Amino acid sequence: MRIASRGLPLLLAALAIAYPWLVPNYYLVYAGALTVMYAAMATSWNLLGGFTGYVSLGHSAFFGLGAYGTGLLVTRLGVPWVVALVVSAVLVTAFAAGVGVAAVRVRGASFVIVSIALVSMMNLVVQGWRSLTGGSTGLQVPSPFPGLHRGQTHMVFFYAFLALLALALLVWWYVSRSRFGAGLRAIREDEDKAESLGVPTGAYKVTAFCLSALFVALAGGLYALWFGSLDPIFVFSILIGSYMVLMSLLGGVRHLFGPLLGALIVAPAGEYFLIALGETQIHLTATGLVLVLVVLFMPDGILARLTRRRAGPSIPDQSADQRLQEVTP
Amino acid sequence: MSSLRTEGLTKAFGGVRAVDGATVELRDGRINGLIGPNGSGKTTFFNIVTGMIRPDAGRVLYRDRDITRHTPHRVAHAGIGRTFQLCRVFPRLTVLENMLVAVRRTRLRELLAGLRDRGEVERARHWLRRMGIEHLEDAEARDLSYGQQKLLELAAVLMAEPDLILLDEPAGGVNPALIDRIAGLVRDLNAEGRTFLVVEHNMDLVMGMCDHVIVFDRGAPIAEGPPSVVREDPRVLEAYLGV
Repeated sequence: MRIASRGLPLLLAALAIAYPWLVPNYYLVYAGALTVMYAAMATSWNLLGGFTGYVSLGHSAFFGLGAYGTGLLVTRLGVPWVVALVVSAVLVTAFAAGVGVAAVRVRGASFVIVSIALVSMMNLVVQGWRSLTGGSTGLQVPSPFPGLHRGQTHMVFFYAFLALLALALLVWWYVSRSRFGAGLRAIREDEDKAESLGVPTGAYKVTAFCLSALFVALAGGLYALWFGSLDPIFVFSILIGSYMVLMSLLGGVRHLFGPLLGALIVAPAGEYFLIALGETQIHLTATGLVLVLVVLFMPDGILARLTRRRAGPSIPDQSADQRLQEVTP
Repeated sequence: MSSLRTEGLTKAFGGVRAVDGATVELRDGRINGLIGPNGSGKTTFFNIVTGMIRPDAGRVLYRDRDITRHTPHRVAHAGIGRTFQLCRVFPRLTVLENMLVAVRRTRLRELLAGLRDRGEVERARHWLRRMGIEHLEDAEARDLSYGQQKLLELAAVLMAEPDLILLDEPAGGVNPALIDRIAGLVRDLNAEGRTFLVVEHNMDLVMGMCDHVIVFDRGAPIAEGPPSVVREDPRVLEAYLGV
């Protein structure tokens, strides 16, 4: 078991690195890059959703802002793309801090609604601010690697997203082993109780919200540089936000590799439906249906199913009570 | 020295004044009982003191510092811990993780520290041992019996090193052997210098354990004193029996 739990991730990492060289065509490199991008985003989403239980359907707001921020810095100010990527992500994180302070004051369904409102507002702002963003006609971002052909660009961004995924996984792992992470999980379980034990829940939630937004914004910035063309309706869509939620829930929000596993299933499935069914809206219906099924029948995700203890071991009261008999005269 | 002092605390829910001008003073080092009929405002009083509910009027002072309207985590940092009427633990965290949630100070270094920080884990095991549940440290809290959860809740509160501990019905729903055990623990912890304020309906426990008893009725104290005196007070009998 131990060898499996240590060796398997290493093997999968090696496979991931070799992937672009193993597949027969550039389309599959493209699909791979897209999948890894979603995996990175779902893992970032899980920094908030998995630890604190705050389900944000609006994380595409940070994706879109990261994308537009990077694109605008490159096109309007002529900033080098690496700088644009980082500065944009930092700005989005600062924005997320402001939004977070207000958003995490409400819990449960109310928070979900607030997160949806956020992405809808961003969509309207970007579409409406025609002079800056190009409005609904979109924004063209020049390729950072004009010397490479399309297929080679897919390859570069495959590795860029892979690095981002590794970073997001590392941060999630680190948080899960820290006292900060224990506080976040306590918030998920019982927020008021955590407060009464001295956990500054507001600050914890905002920090998790910002961390989560940071990596999603970086993914958005990379996406802008990769695709070279931004459509506000796509980057600020509820669909991208729902994908992050679906992938995380499907794989298992309590596990480091849960969202990654979910992305490996959902993203290729989405691409497949797109090819098989064409540019219809049926794949949206399919996404919604899968989300409902997961929530109903596998609320803890696939990994929890696989690693679940056999029948919850009820700890006999006896042992404690016997001890009590011994200590009480 | 005065531990906790409240001045004219008032809180109304709609038209009902749950706490109505409550002025209470607790001295350091005592086990104080807080009794009164159902709906007399005891739990609301707890919630105001710990910052979970904001009072409409009045002040809360702890060791002569005004902590009215402090957020609950700041109240905890000031040195006040509490348990809940319906015992609350983190069901899907392990017993040991439950113990490691408490934050004593908001310091970056402490927060970034690993969960398995040895000093903290040692402290956690110390309290689990005193509660007699150290053998359960890897179990999820939801798999514990109700009595075990009560002990875990108290142990987790002690991790925050409070000087004043508010217990909301510590004997509620637990068997007689465990009630004795909890009473013994409270006495020991008190002997080590911790002050207690205990809401409890089990009169034998209150009268046997407490040094000082405060009686609430309709949101304010109507009598207080040593258990033997309070027990005979006609106002208390009236409040309880309605005669």
